[in-house]
Amino acid sequence: MRTVARGIAIALAVALTACGGASSTGTTTSNSYQGKTIQLGAILSLTGAGGVYGPSSQKGMDLAVEKINNSGGVNGAKIALDTKDDASDRPQSAQVAQTLIQQGQLLALLGPTLSNSAVAVHPLAESFKIPILAVSTTGIHIVPDCNFPKTDPCKYVFRDSLGEESAIPANIKVYSDMKHPKTGVLLVANDDKFSKDGGTIVQNTVGQYNIQLLDTVQFSKATADFATPVTKAVQKNPDVIFITSLGNIPARIMGEARKQGFKGDFLGGNGFNTAAVSKAAGADGKGAQSGSAWYINNTFTSNAGFVQAYRAKYSSDPDQFAAQGYAAILILADAAKRANLTFSDTPGDRTKLRDAMESVNIDTPLGRFQFTSTHDVKQTIWVIQMDGSGGFTLVKSVTPS
Amino acid sequence: MTQQVLNAIFIGSIYALFAVGYTLVFGVLDVLNLAHSAVFMLGAVITYSLVVLHGLPFLPAAIIAILVCGLLGLLIEFVALRPLRRRDAPPIAALISTIGLALIFVAIVEQATQGTLFSWLWQDGANSVRFPAGTVPNPTYHVGGLTIEGTKLGILGLSVVLMLVLGYVMRFTQVGRALRAVAENRRAATLLGINVDRIFASTLFVSSALGGLAGLLFGLSLSDISPYIGRDQVELKGLAVIVLGGMGSIPGAVLGGYLLGLIEVFAFVRFGSNVEAGVAFAALFLVLVLRPQGLFGARLRERL
Amino acid sequence: MDFFIQLFTDPVGFYNQHELLIAQIGINALLAISIFVTFYSGQLTLANAGFMAIGAYTTVIMSLYLPTPLPLNILVGALLAGAIGFLVGLPVLRLRGVFLAIATIGFVEALRLGVILNVPITGEGQGLKNPSADPLGGIVPILISVPILTYLVWRLTHTRLGQAWAAIREDELAASSNGINVPVYKMVAFVISAIVAGYAGALETHINFFVDPTEYSVTRTIQILTFAVVGGTTNVIGPIVGAIFLTALPEIVRQFAAYRDVVNGIILILVIIFRPQGIVGRGGLAIIAPRWWTRWRTRERAAAAH
Repeated sequence: MRTVARGIAIALAVALTACGGASSTGTTTSNSYQGKTIQLGAILSLTGAGGVYGPSSQKGMDLAVEKINNSGGVNGAKIALDTKDDASDRPQSAQVAQTLIQQGQLLALLGPTLSNSAVAVHPLAESFKIPILAVSTTGIHIVPDCNFPKTDPCKYVFRDSLGEESAIPANIKVYSDMKHPKTGVLLVANDDKFSKDGGTIVQNTVGQYNIQLLDTVQFSKATADFATPVTKAVQKNPDVIFITSLGNIPARIMGEARKQGFKGDFLGGNGFNTAAVSKAAGADGKGAQSGSAWYINNTFTSNAGFVQAYRAKYSSDPDQFAAQGYAAILILADAAKRANLTFSDTPGDRTKLRDAMESVNIDTPLGRFQFTSTHDVKQTIWVIQMDGSGGFTLVKSVTPS
Repeated sequence: MTQQVLNAIFIGSIYALFAVGYTLVFGVLDVLNLAHSAVFMLGAVITYSLVVLHGLPFLPAAIIAILVCGLLGLLIEFVALRPLRRRDAPPIAALISTIGLALIFVAIVEQATQGTLFSWLWQDGANSVRFPAGTVPNPTYHVGGLTIEGTKLGILGLSVVLMLVLGYVMRFTQVGRALRAVAENRRAATLLGINVDRIFASTLFVSSALGGLAGLLFGLSLSDISPYIGRDQVELKGLAVIVLGGMGSIPGAVLGGYLLGLIEVFAFVRFGSNVEAGVAFAALFLVLVLRPQGLFGARLRERL
Repeated sequence: MDFFIQLFTDPVGFYNQHELLIAQIGINALLAISIFVTFYSGQLTLANAGFMAIGAYTTVIMSLYLPTPLPLNILVGALLAGAIGFLVGLPVLRLRGVFLAIATIGFVEALRLGVILNVPITGEGQGLKNPSADPLGGIVPILISVPILTYLVWRLTHTRLGQAWAAIREDELAASSNGINVPVYKMVAFVISAIVAGYAGALETHINFFVDPTEYSVTRTIQILTFAVVGGTTNVIGPIVGAIFLTALPEIVRQFAAYRDVVNGIILILVIIFRPQGIVGRGGLAIIAPRWWTRWRTRERAAAAH
């Protein structure tokens, strides 16, 4: 009970500093906000294949909303978050987004969970001129070119989820500087966008660090027995194995590779960064290294408070998706605070909020957070390793240039 | 290459175990039971839940899970199949009602997390989990550059034994003869005094118990237990297997399972993964078009 | 419930908020028409998702690389689906019942996993963005197409062709001995079904921004099949009603959010057991009486007779 109380106290303090820190740059008179509601909508995959990520994002967001509202809101205005499930299905995701947008009062959207859905939802939000903040999509062509292959930047699309284009190269650089690997094999799932994107990034990066890619072994997500692709990879005798895939597949590949006698290290992307994967990999995953947006054991206040509060509310550990969901609400709250909202002209408020989002600069569980000029993430990258017993250790932090 | 052949034989035995139950129902009842893949999944999920959430040792947990899966087979029979048979519905109706059951089973597991209605069954939602290390001892041998795992070897042995037993029961016992009589001609069997409904129920029980066993062995040896293992990983491949072997033929399903394992692995080694994924279905398509009775000819064409 | 209240009290707001849902219902109605045609001729084929893929990819690839106008791209997509339908139909239509269904499943998955994932121009696993997507304008051709195609197919089922299909469905042997060229009529149904599915696939890319292989799996075909079964296949209206009902269902039962698929499954089972002719079918609103009901009724009547 004591720890719970302390956790809440710390979290409150964090939420206050997070908002307070930002308000120093604010220009708003708080009166116009008093008693108003800032309405936000989230499109998350709570069921279906994305159900692994969506519920975490939702918990993080709910926690942040609760904290902010309990500590005086945004200049006195409450945040109301309307979360809708898209069942991990692209058409439903777009339908839900449209319903949320057209209901008329929402100032911003969050999500959707999966890149596969983002390709439909983001252009929709862009065409309706409502800001949308992606909280878990890490693939390419999310920001700023949401209308890829058209290249004109999307003005209303942001993300707070660290892209694989930043995380994977950072990880490979850190690893190469330490261990100087000569050869590698890439194992990549070929039937989803996330994994394919990650594989492309690995292929484009290894050359810079003089790692020779001996083979690229593609497999289907629905592979039952990973012995076959792993045998193919291990027989090349590489120094490292790169894995870009989702769910527990990285863990299963690691287990299989160890059984087949592979002694080198595993390098990967966001697919490595959940406690579930680390737990599933167990001792086989020890040393598997990846670039992450978040590290649970970071002790700076904005993270420690978040972790404490999360444990107190849900009696389980948060993961990266919860941290990114939590951060997203802090970001929108900070922008709303400074946006001088009217609460009567919704289209105008949406644009004001968008403008204020561009200059966000706050402390979040992810670290100090800003957007780049292309609305992508500008934050420290935490290069982490699986510790062999379900957790992670920090190898190095890479500050953004 | 030898390693890859071993890999193929192992995955083939999982396919075969799954497909035997599938084909058994088709052979006797003349319907495709599309809930079979969901029962396969539940076999793994129930065993996992008994071991991890309820602290049972592996063996009793597995036995309970297999029996529960058998009972689920009865549920399928009573809810989704028997009412349709009563009014002579076309086989496609059973396709739909079993899809309905499969949807329900998968959704229940997918939505079960801590603190929900079904948290006694499953707490990991859409996540995939595996048995804690050491649940079943798994000595791994390295022989001349080959990797051989204890559990996989055990599963191979177990599936061969089971299939021989099933074959024996089918050929040489009273029950087996009754089953084959029903499969051959339902009306004639009824006239002979065979209780057809009871035969159908026991077929579903055995088929689903086998499906559950296949599922738990899959989860154990491939470290993958999730609401989707049946639907995404074996359902359609199982269909390919029973087509390759000739629909309704048990020895055909066994041979078809190993054959599909081999075809897939060779396609993977020769042409890469891109081709591997499609090869099962291309084979299925070709066999149906060129040789709808299955690959193994007239001797195995006889049902069951 | 809000869903229905709004439909009646604020139809304009309803339309604005659910335009994409309505568009999707339209697409699914087209797919329902597609599966209806083969059903009506007595064939259980599940190739629809494959033909959708052909229509969709053709349209998107043409929009990406050729300066041709969009309507032409859509037309080419639909016709190519028909042409491939013809080629697939040649060997496959000799099969019957469940075998035909499985062979067409094989076609769908082989196309998806074997071809789409291996041909670079399709974007492989990454999919392709449709450069001419217009989610809110895209609804217009859909809303126009549904009634027109419904009417055409309705008329078709009342022509000689439709009568031949019905005859084949009722008894293939008898139809054949009455001088109906069964293979030709089956093929015509299969190709029409493929063209409609290809057309629906092409239109869908217009509201969905994107094509990727996960859209065109067997799961999709099974979904289309449920439209026909739940709606009923006595006439073309049935599958369309099924499509409308099942597509809107996730919105209607949103309060059960988490257990939506359970509700879906229960509805499928209830319909197939208690109302096998589908929602739209002979017998008005009657459901199949459970056995205890008839038994009870007979006893009542027996008692009354005494």
